[in-house]
Amino acid sequence: MRSFPFTADVYFSLFDTYNDTIWPAQLVAYGLGILAVFLTLRPVATAGRIAFAILSAFWLWNGVVYHLLHFFEINFAALGFAALFTLQGLLFAAIAIGGKRCFRFQPDILGWSGMFFCLFALLAYPLLGWMAGHGWPRAAAFGVAPAPTVIFTFGMLVMLEGRVPLYLALIPLLWSLAAGSAAVFLLRIPEDWSVLLAGVVGFGLVACKRRQQATSRSS
Amino acid sequence: MNSLTRRRFVGSIATLGATVALPALGQGPASGANLKKAIPSTGEQLPAIGLGTWITFNVGSNEKLRAVRAQVMQSFFDRGGRLIDSSPMYGSSEAVIGYGLAHVKNRGALFSAGKVWTPFKPLGINQMENSRKLWGVERFDLMQIHNLVDWSTHIETLKAMKAQGRVRYIGITTSQGWRHGDLERVMRSEPIDFVAFSYNVVDREVEERLLPLAAERGIAVIINRPFQEGVLIERLMHHPLPPWAVEIDCANWAQFLLKFIISHPAVTCAIPATRRVDHLEENMGAMRGRQPDTKMRARMTRYVETV
Repeated sequence: MRSFPFTADVYFSLFDTYNDTIWPAQLVAYGLGILAVFLTLRPVATAGRIAFAILSAFWLWNGVVYHLLHFFEINFAALGFAALFTLQGLLFAAIAIGGKRCFRFQPDILGWSGMFFCLFALLAYPLLGWMAGHGWPRAAAFGVAPAPTVIFTFGMLVMLEGRVPLYLALIPLLWSLAAGSAAVFLLRIPEDWSVLLAGVVGFGLVACKRRQQATSRSS
Repeated sequence: MNSLTRRRFVGSIATLGATVALPALGQGPASGANLKKAIPSTGEQLPAIGLGTWITFNVGSNEKLRAVRAQVMQSFFDRGGRLIDSSPMYGSSEAVIGYGLAHVKNRGALFSAGKVWTPFKPLGINQMENSRKLWGVERFDLMQIHNLVDWSTHIETLKAMKAQGRVRYIGITTSQGWRHGDLERVMRSEPIDFVAFSYNVVDREVEERLLPLAAERGIAVIINRPFQEGVLIERLMHHPLPPWAVEIDCANWAQFLLKFIISHPAVTCAIPATRRVDHLEENMGAMRGRQPDTKMRARMTRYVETV
């Protein structure tokens, strides 16, 4: 049975309209994403605050503008996703306001993995979409569409300095499993295999980092 | 005469009428005449093929896609179609129907079948009013409780709406086989005009209890998912139609599958969904020509089981 309320064609048509409506927000989102990655390489005093504010802006935008104002038109489940994305955005905003956490790229396996996730979201995901026939303007653009945003978030979380709060990775995990599996198995969107994998591997890396830090602390 | 007695009386007459109206196997029907079935509670005639909108009409605000659905609706009405079914659960489908109704030339024959799909009475009332506005109709011909959601609450609202003339018929639906027991209880206990559930040449469980019960209680039957959301027709399209399909005037698998459904005496209407005009034309063709009798229906079942 294909009990899913819309087709892949309609899904990408929605992006067509959405991208047209929000232009040039996509360019701003790319700029902010590049800035967040840059800040993991060159940490300055307020780097953590700025990077968390960027993540917060991405998630709040996806919750309100994408899910509530656009995706809800074709999928009633978008209401639930809107609430979850907004909650995640508020969590990031709270940490940004607290100003005590920052992201830092470390040249180890976890650091390179995090960087890979970020660059994948910025560069590889749109390329895969284009190769699958979902290029601009029917593309899920970085920062303003959930798939690349979630992949990017996992990358940033893996590069978070100190212990990563598990609650920060829960909503990205839930979304990547739910939306990723629907996209891959029901809508047959090949590039969204990466969303599904990012959820599983990204959450695994966050858990691995927590364990690594717990071990080093106890020793 | 209490309403149930009247219902049973009218229903029996209507069911008999519907059965008699079926062109017998081997007899040539009037060319181009659509098969119509009677709604048991009133005797009103409905074309045996309606238009479902699950998935196919959920196209958002994309003008190009909306225009194609309007063409489907135009073709539906041009071929004598009447019943269009939708639900708030189907995303933008209701708004797209409203767009289509505003753009077709002849919407006068429309038989609007909406649904209520939310818990709680006030939310249900608001939702039905919102649906009415989205469709752009004065009132719904039929309002159904979708998938039995909070049915004991909404049934009272619907009965009151019917008594006030704000809806002509009321009904209840499910597309989930595991809810058939609950559906049967509602059919036995409430004065509903319509019931909707899934039925096709391979999913025939409803032949045992629900279809005979509908006939006995004088309830019109709408059949959803006649092609198993496309799975069944995709499976069969790789096989040739049996040569004897010409005996029931089938030109394609869609007609084969739909004729099987609408030839059941207790079925009032099937609601295949489509986004394409050519598929709609195939579907509507199932109402014309000879319809299978009991023997042919058994043959159709056996054949599909072997491919």
